[in-house]
Amino acid sequence: DGGDRARARQHVFLLPEYFKDASKKMKSGLMFVKLVNPCSGEGTIYLFNMCLQQLFEIKVFKEKHHSWFINQSVQSGGLLHFATPIDPLFLLLHYLRKADKEGKFQPLDQVVVDDMFPNCILLLKLPELEKLLQHVTEEKEIDKKKYYKYSKEKTIKWLEKKVNQIVAALKTNNVNVSARVQATAFFSGDQASSDKEEDYICYAHGLVSDYLPRELSDDLCKYLKLPEPS
Amino acid sequence: MESGDEAAVEKCRIHLRPGTLRDAPPAMLHLLPCEVLVSRPAPVGRFFTPAIRQGPDGLEVSFRGRKLRGEEVVVPPGLVGYVMEEKGEVVVGKGSSEGSSNDKEQEQQELVEPPEALERDFDRFIGATASFSGFTLWGLETIPGPDAKVRGALTWPSLAAAIHAQVPED
Repeated sequence: DGGDRARARQHVFLLPEYFKDASKKMKSGLMFVKLVNPCSGEGTIYLFNMCLQQLFEIKVFKEKHHSWFINQSVQSGGLLHFATPIDPLFLLLHYLRKADKEGKFQPLDQVVVDDMFPNCILLLKLPELEKLLQHVTEEKEIDKKKYYKYSKEKTIKWLEKKVNQIVAALKTNNVNVSARVQATAFFSGDQASSDKEEDYICYAHGLVSDYLPRELSDDLCKYLKLPEPS
Repeated sequence: MESGDEAAVEKCRIHLRPGTLRDAPPAMLHLLPCEVLVSRPAPVGRFFTPAIRQGPDGLEVSFRGRKLRGEEVVVPPGLVGYVMEEKGEVVVGKGSSEGSSNDKEQEQQELVEPPEALERDFDRFIGATASFSGFTLWGLETIPGPDAKVRGALTWPSLAAAIHAQVPED
């Protein structure tokens, strides 16, 4: 290993196993691109798999005082990157809500435009977009071309289904959803029964809110009749 | 990879060479409970690995005179670990320094990449140099407990699947 190896930064990643098989068929098509973060509106790195036509978000485990030994080298920082599938509808929602300010039906290629993050055109290449969009838009078809308009009502219902789906996963994974529970479990050892349904819904709402602008998260909170976040 | 150092060119795409995911040789990884400030080659096999002992509660070793306790952690099901490295400013047709047959293959891949990559000049390349299915997690004096943040992080993929799975139609 020469001096070059010493300077190259090493990134530790966890990727889906099936990337390996898909890679047999493709010469290129796996790429990291910067796209809009639907929660913050800022730029975030995503991983796009053109072969599988799937979008992945990158989450980074980062905690103070960690480093890696990787074979015969040391890598400071101790970062661990996760690439997990993200529902592209969260990103599309960002553009649909923005376009909705004009208050009319528009073709998708006029909705998903972004000077800041021009790679957003990749989103238009995702499969079954029309089916996805049904969850959050009203649509019209004129001369075989589809026009879309953001629907808040449909979006909230779609998000409610998401929340239910997450609640089910939290229960199967035995995720402790309440800080209060920890204390009671400590004394009674009876954790499972003390987790209230509302705690699960609150927790799930929090998880899905990481992909929503504040306003939509608040609307969902009201719709689910959850207590105002303190 | 962190957004901080990518700020300059928003158009930039960093291509991950698919072939490298197939060929990545297995690597030994240790996650240490301390910050080593410089990233560079280190004689891990001379000083660290031979000193690892199987103690009554897991693995034991010492680093810089402090006692570490650790255990093997497996990568969550359905995932594979990779170590990836960016290959400087790779320009089409220009060979990299290592010159193995594998690199020649990569070179050809660059040449046949579709011209639709308009931002060619800005594009960068990253490849897997190694793979792993688990790593050794080390704690200072004691094995990191079930509440350790890294263990929580490893449960993220299963939760992410639930958040991002398509919802059923009405």
